[in-house]
Amino acid sequence: MKQIIIPKLENESLTAQLLSLYKAFKNVSEMENLDFDLSELDWICPFLILPVSVYIDNTRSKFNISESSKIKSYLDIIKFPKGIDSISSFKQQIQRYKNYIPISVLKQKTGLMRERFEQLFQEMIYRRLGSLSGIQDAIYYPIGELITNIFEHSKQDKGYIFGQFYPKKKYLDICIVDKGRGFRNTYLEEKNLKLSDEKAIIEVMKGNSVKTDKERGYGIRTSKRIVCEALEGEFVLISNSVALISNRKSENLVFLPSFNWHGVIIAYRIPIPKGRIDIYPYIE
Amino acid sequence: MRKKSKTVINIARVFASILSSRDIIDKLRIIIERVDRESVDLDFQKVKFISRSAAHELILIKEDFKRKRLNKKEISFINVNDSVKEMLRVVAANRALPKDIKPEFKAKKVNINVLCV
Repeated sequence: MKQIIIPKLENESLTAQLLSLYKAFKNVSEMENLDFDLSELDWICPFLILPVSVYIDNTRSKFNISESSKIKSYLDIIKFPKGIDSISSFKQQIQRYKNYIPISVLKQKTGLMRERFEQLFQEMIYRRLGSLSGIQDAIYYPIGELITNIFEHSKQDKGYIFGQFYPKKKYLDICIVDKGRGFRNTYLEEKNLKLSDEKAIIEVMKGNSVKTDKERGYGIRTSKRIVCEALEGEFVLISNSVALISNRKSENLVFLPSFNWHGVIIAYRIPIPKGRIDIYPYIE
Repeated sequence: MRKKSKTVINIARVFASILSSRDIIDKLRIIIERVDRESVDLDFQKVKFISRSAAHELILIKEDFKRKRLNKKEISFINVNDSVKEMLRVVAANRALPKDIKPEFKAKKVNINVLCV
């Protein structure tokens, strides 16, 4: 089994997390069994830990961490790597550890239960950010649309979500992951469009849906706009071998050679809002 | 003969107080189909938020039932909070008057090595 050392983060930025993720999964072939070594890490965040968790869940890979590691107890609290997949376990966990939201596994076939589980997660996140006008909509919108997107397009039964609020750093990090088809294959299989990973991301960001209905296809684009423009946050998306890093001022498509995430990873950071938020001008 | 009186479906109680997915709204369609009434009120009391996708699906359902020749139904939304109201309005407005131009998206292409520096 190949050993993968998850490199220590150079700083707290989402870009630094992307780099660590890239270094960890570079040259990894699809469904390869891995042994993740987390011992170098002294701080962990959703964008880095959720994809590792999802990978372990999908490949039965392993991980190890020294008993003296600074992050060991945190990993136990967030239920790394398996996460929690039921409302009752989620409620128990948040009652026990009020400041930590566990890694949550949403399953399509559970239907209404999944919707209620997602609701619990959204409410927990919202409570962390206070009650300024419009925040509720701004928190619920991207989570709802991005999770919906997984179940409408990934062809997978599971979607994963994890979030952490950092009160001293004054921001909230969210990560949403699937191990589905990725955008390139979705366009190929649904519309017979042969696109590169880069072009597939561009089509998604233009709102070009694989569905025939012209009014569909805006979920990811609008979520990104709400995070970056309404909330002044940062948004990162990975599909296969290309990443998009967006903020209010710039959009960068980053090529990730020898890296291929089968599915989609979306991570975003929201600073604590200081005033009223209105998401509706961004809805298309 | 179908009954003319109304029936009320409490959305938060039957489903959830945050409505995100299209498939949940599709479950609502099945419930409405089975109702033996000409009018159905969807009661949004305690519904905090509806996603764009769910709002779009809901509007499609409302239009479908209005168009039907058999099992035609008038669907109304009641006790809707400002947030849900706004989402339904935006989605309905975009449906009535879609934008002619598809949005643009321009991004700078960067190699990962640039980020490593």
